[in-house]
Amino acid sequence: MTYRWILPMALLLCFSTTALSVNYDLLWSQLRSSNSACQKLLWQLNGAPQRCPEDTMNFQFPEEIEQAQQFQKEDAALVFYEMLQHTLRIFRRNFASTGWNETIVKNLLVEVHLQMDHLETNLKGIMEEESSTRGNTTILRLKKYYGSISQYLKAKKYSHCAWTVVQAEMLRNLAFLNGLIDYLQD
Amino acid sequence: MRRHPKGGRFYYKYKREKGTNLKSPQNVEVYIVDDSCILKWSGSDEFVSNVTFSVDYQIPEIDDWIKLPGCQYVTSTQCDFSSLQLNVYDEVKLRVRAEKGNDTSPWYEVDSFIPFQKAQIGPPEVHLEAEDRAVILNISPPGTQDSVMWAMDSSSFTYSLVIWKNSSSGEKRTETVYPRDKIYKLSPETTYCLKVRARLRVQRKVGLYSPVSCINTTVENKLPPPENIQIDSNNWNYIIKWDYKYENMTFQAQWLYGYLKKFPGKHEDKWKQLPDCENVKTTQCVFPRSTFSRGIYFVRVQASNGNNTSLWSEEKRFDTEIQTIILPPLINLKSVNGSLRVYIGAPKESENKSVDQPYRLTYEINFWENTSDTQSKILQKKTDFTFLNLKPLTVYCVKARALILEEKWNKSSDFSDTVCEKTKPGNTSRTLLIAGICIALLILAAVVYVVRVLWRCINYVFFPSSKPPSAVDEYFSEHLLKNLLLSTSAEQIERCFVIENTNTVSAAEETNHAGEDYKKYGSQTSQDSGNYSNEDENSGSGLSEEVLLQGAV
Repeated sequence: MTYRWILPMALLLCFSTTALSVNYDLLWSQLRSSNSACQKLLWQLNGAPQRCPEDTMNFQFPEEIEQAQQFQKEDAALVFYEMLQHTLRIFRRNFASTGWNETIVKNLLVEVHLQMDHLETNLKGIMEEESSTRGNTTILRLKKYYGSISQYLKAKKYSHCAWTVVQAEMLRNLAFLNGLIDYLQD
Repeated sequence: MRRHPKGGRFYYKYKREKGTNLKSPQNVEVYIVDDSCILKWSGSDEFVSNVTFSVDYQIPEIDDWIKLPGCQYVTSTQCDFSSLQLNVYDEVKLRVRAEKGNDTSPWYEVDSFIPFQKAQIGPPEVHLEAEDRAVILNISPPGTQDSVMWAMDSSSFTYSLVIWKNSSSGEKRTETVYPRDKIYKLSPETTYCLKVRARLRVQRKVGLYSPVSCINTTVENKLPPPENIQIDSNNWNYIIKWDYKYENMTFQAQWLYGYLKKFPGKHEDKWKQLPDCENVKTTQCVFPRSTFSRGIYFVRVQASNGNNTSLWSEEKRFDTEIQTIILPPLINLKSVNGSLRVYIGAPKESENKSVDQPYRLTYEINFWENTSDTQSKILQKKTDFTFLNLKPLTVYCVKARALILEEKWNKSSDFSDTVCEKTKPGNTSRTLLIAGICIALLILAAVVYVVRVLWRCINYVFFPSSKPPSAVDEYFSEHLLKNLLLSTSAEQIERCFVIENTNTVSAAEETNHAGEDYKKYGSQTSQDSGNYSNEDENSGSGLSEEVLLQGAV
């Protein structure tokens, strides 16, 4: 079982994480540094193509993330934080059975955790606000989405082909997140 | 109701009406704590017996109401629907009604809700382990291990702990803790009690407190753990320093991935040795920057003297980004009119170019007049700004340093070199100067013009010009002018001589006056004769000459 899906996941995360800062002028520099970290991981990743049945799964990625314009920057930041959280949770387990270099995976987890830490610092004020309606619906849908991915992987016993399906899913999300980042950079 | 007259008193009989007299259940509420989902209500009429209740539910994909198994025709006033295995992030609707025999009350419909949103975080489970001056915590998240409600949030919980001494004066201390953490700064051989609750910050949910647990700290250990761990860095290495009471000790240091702290469960086996910090004899150890890729880690140190080992020190959080060195910025000053423009530039590159600083830097700028000692300090985030309203032609000096003023750390660079610059003359004084010069020139021109006009007037009045027009001047010569002038005087009487006889000559002289006419005639005659002789010549001029000549004789 290879770990090819780490690459797009890493890209996804790295792009997404760098977009997040309440002080949005940091955005460019964080994006740049994250890009270089992602490129490094990319180069270290190499997977052999494998044959899998063409399974199309609809995990129901929240469509509103595709339409970046409706998000306020704070809401977008919370959405990214949520995504980081779930990615860390999913990544952490079940790679013992892969032939993958653990150090690379752990470095990725470290990078994700670092971005989460930055976010926690920056979003502390927002998180402790009295009004609790920020991005709630989208975040709930994200939880449902990642829940269905987790359940799928579990049901398929973390098979390689299941990971392939998940990888395709993450590639699609990456495109949406790029749009969101572009919007945030304006 | 019928009136029953009986000697003035009236009895009323109530006849029970058949039909839907049964009221819907009242005070219907949904209570969700962790995975336990309960619908509670109260019957409408407490005295009525033999009433049962039924509950239906509805989920978004299916339009019909579905009978909730285990809650059909029940006598209790609550229903547990946890076993439904609903998706906790989907909306669900519930309805309940009362039944008695064939009667049914109208349905009471609960407003649709999302179980996750309604859910209350239950108490976490706490396991404690005592040391001499610390207590080791092992917190399990709320709900069961295969909890559905918190399946996606097991690593998102943050925990806050309240701890106090069991003695009477128990001062309470509150801390935010990780699922696997330690409470430090405790006294040995003391009973401490604590309670913990979990939180989901993004959803602003605060959980219920765990039951209070108490534990006794142990007897003081022979060897205390190292204290006051500090992590510094230079361009090439990280340096961990600590304090220790005793001499001649050996130390070792370990590290842990920061993200592991977010997850409950044991990490004891996940701590790794720091290779350059094994069995060091000094209270510090140095290891290269390349040991850690960018991120957050934890570090701990232990002392030993061969026979005994101390307990582990406090776990020190280590953020590689914080440890980057901030270089002092470069300052460029430019004097613009009456103000001073400051450009703060990136510092010169260090030898180790891999230092990446994507942080928001704040600059502390010291600013003073060269001649005075008082410095003013300002904090700026912009790298291009201006000091306004300065004194012109004064030398001001600036030095700055870069700061990181983030939540978790406070780091500053050294001060940059001092740069001084003299301000230019002020904007307003210069414009005034130019304006003044222009006005002066205008006034001068006006004055000159006026003076010229006046001079002409004066000349004209007091010193009229006696020169004839030039055309006339050409035409007439000087002589002609003189002749004209003299001819007026030539109109005087000339002495004339009549030459007829001598007697008459004398007679003529005597009768000068009487013979004026005669003389005149005579002169005329002579004149005539003169004319004849000179007729050929220019008459005008000749005439005048003749006259002149004669008069002269």
